Amino acid sequence: MHIFKNLRRSTLLRSGVAALALAAVSAGTAKAATTLVETGSSLLYPLFNIWVPDFTAANPGIQLTTTSTGSGAGIAQSMKGLVQIGASDAYLSDSIVAKNPNMLSIPLAISAQSVNYNLPGMAAKHLKLSGPILADIYMGKITMWNDPMIKAMNPGVALPAHVIIPIHRVDGSGDTFIFSQYLDKSTPAWHTALGYGTTISWPAVQGGLGANGNPGMVSASASNPYSIAYIGVSFKAQIDKAGLGTAELKNADGKFVLPTAETVSAAANSLATDTPVDERISLIFAKGPEAYPIINYEYAIINASQPDATTAKAIQTFLTWALTTGNDPKYVSQVNFLPLPPAVVELSKSQIARIQ
Amino acid sequence: MKLKPFRLSVLGLSLLIPAALCAVVLFLAIYSAPAVSFNGFGFVSRITWDLGNLYGDPVTVRGVQVPPGASYGILVFVVGTLLSSFIAILIAVPLSVGAAIFLAESVPAKIRPILSLLVELVAVVPSVVFGLWGIAVLIPLMAGYIGPGLSHILGFIPFFSGGNTGSGYGLLTTSIVLALMITPIIATTLLDALLQVPKENRESAFALGATHFEVVSKAMMPMVRTTLIGGIVLALGRALGETMAVLMVSGGAINIMPQNIYSPVSTIASFIVSQLDSAEQDPTNMAVQSLAEIALVLFIITLAVNAAAKLLSSGVLNGRSKH
Repeated sequence: MHIFKNLRRSTLLRSGVAALALAAVSAGTAKAATTLVETGSSLLYPLFNIWVPDFTAANPGIQLTTTSTGSGAGIAQSMKGLVQIGASDAYLSDSIVAKNPNMLSIPLAISAQSVNYNLPGMAAKHLKLSGPILADIYMGKITMWNDPMIKAMNPGVALPAHVIIPIHRVDGSGDTFIFSQYLDKSTPAWHTALGYGTTISWPAVQGGLGANGNPGMVSASASNPYSIAYIGVSFKAQIDKAGLGTAELKNADGKFVLPTAETVSAAANSLATDTPVDERISLIFAKGPEAYPIINYEYAIINASQPDATTAKAIQTFLTWALTTGNDPKYVSQVNFLPLPPAVVELSKSQIARIQ
Repeated sequence: MKLKPFRLSVLGLSLLIPAALCAVVLFLAIYSAPAVSFNGFGFVSRITWDLGNLYGDPVTVRGVQVPPGASYGILVFVVGTLLSSFIAILIAVPLSVGAAIFLAESVPAKIRPILSLLVELVAVVPSVVFGLWGIAVLIPLMAGYIGPGLSHILGFIPFFSGGNTGSGYGLLTTSIVLALMITPIIATTLLDALLQVPKENRESAFALGATHFEVVSKAMMPMVRTTLIGGIVLALGRALGETMAVLMVSGGAINIMPQNIYSPVSTIASFIVSQLDSAEQDPTNMAVQSLAEIALVLFIITLAVNAAAKLLSSGVLNGRSKH
């Protein structure tokens, strides 16, 4: 009895799906819509989220779907051709490019990452932190908030005698990539032991936590007093709402700076001319007294050879829109990103021309 | 004559399932072979899992290409899997035995279908919903009250004590979420069996002057013991393989063994999911092959647990109930 009922239901369901598909096809013949799917970086997702309605309104022939997973997923799924646009805070590695010469890393905007902490009563206080101190915290060498090294950097601040809970990402993450690059470039011990990547073999720290995606980082640090986390600036609104403090980080010139539009653009301008033709470059530790140390290009990871010309054209249309209209401050500043410098836009455009 | 095509088709269909199982195991074994030879036996006894520097040039170690610094060890995840499932069973068995006996014995037959339907409904709740509930409700409770409370009351027992009862994300939270997911599995199988116990057994026990408790514990439970173990095995299978809910509440431990029941853990299944995207960026493919090897280990663990339970239910316990 049961089986028959289920069978009948599934046939009903199937005919329903078929009807829907038919409807979609007939709608498609009226105006052929090309479907593009984007997945990846949870840091870039808020920007895509505000881009999509305006882009599709201007280009009704292209349907763009956006999902937030993680940069690792963006890279992996774009290489496999499961999505047309992979979003990533990390560029492709040399060995991946050598193996897949068709895979492009195209910057769309400039982002930054903040180091945040949940210290009760100290949300408005900007602690000064440096790469070596953060490395020691994540390696379990500094375990208390009132450690002499943190105290020495923050004279006059009443630091609590409490164990630090370092939070890291468990998923493959571009945030982990740029954060570990900051530690890698500032701390020799981190460089030799751990290096950088979208996943790190996190050292054993008693009480340390893993969280999933930027939203997971915000909620894990909000619910854990005395924790520390690295979070993309596109989540600044959520960070502030959760009552987390933001650290001033030590830059290449030894100054302590907050992630603001000024410090991020100072860093971006100092590195824009260094950007190579394939645009794969680390923007960590830019020179200049005002430069914020953890900034990065937000990449679209694209396969240059697409299965058909229509898809290739649609991808080009979208990326060009993103670099021109989409780079308008009215979009990017909403998520605390910055537009690309003009020289970088030109480099991105010549990479877009390779897609076919 | 009429039976032959029927018999053939049934035979074919029934062979399909074991064939699919063999194919999966065979695929895993072949696919992970390079990883098995690279990792050696230390794979299950090493604590450190390191994908190596995926942005460096691959190096040749022990005859295979791997990213520099790559070293794969999964003891943390094996321990996390076994501990979380074991504690989940410890919590779920009394709960579900109690629920099944209540439904079979103390509820009027008219209401019973409604209540047992409610229990069954818990079994079909998607695991991600349990995970969300864990994050929203259980974790704050655990961090604020249950963890510190348990540590205060049961602190004299090892693994219950801990100066720091943690953040709510961890072993005990994972086990409680798992326990809720598997309770209906055990409860419904047990309830069905209890309702099958012949009326005569029950009534003759009552006639001999047994109390209600004695009727249930002496006349009914021994008859459903095998079913109970079967239910527990089914439940254990689900707990060992559960992925999403665990990923959401376990705290994602890596490279660190749990120190007490509040420590963050990772299970094999949740770890495979969290690592897959990064592993796929490994140009040498060793990371993905090592993940396949973990899957093989999970399969062996599940098989071992099932075999042990089969042995328990067929031999040992039947032997005892004859006395």
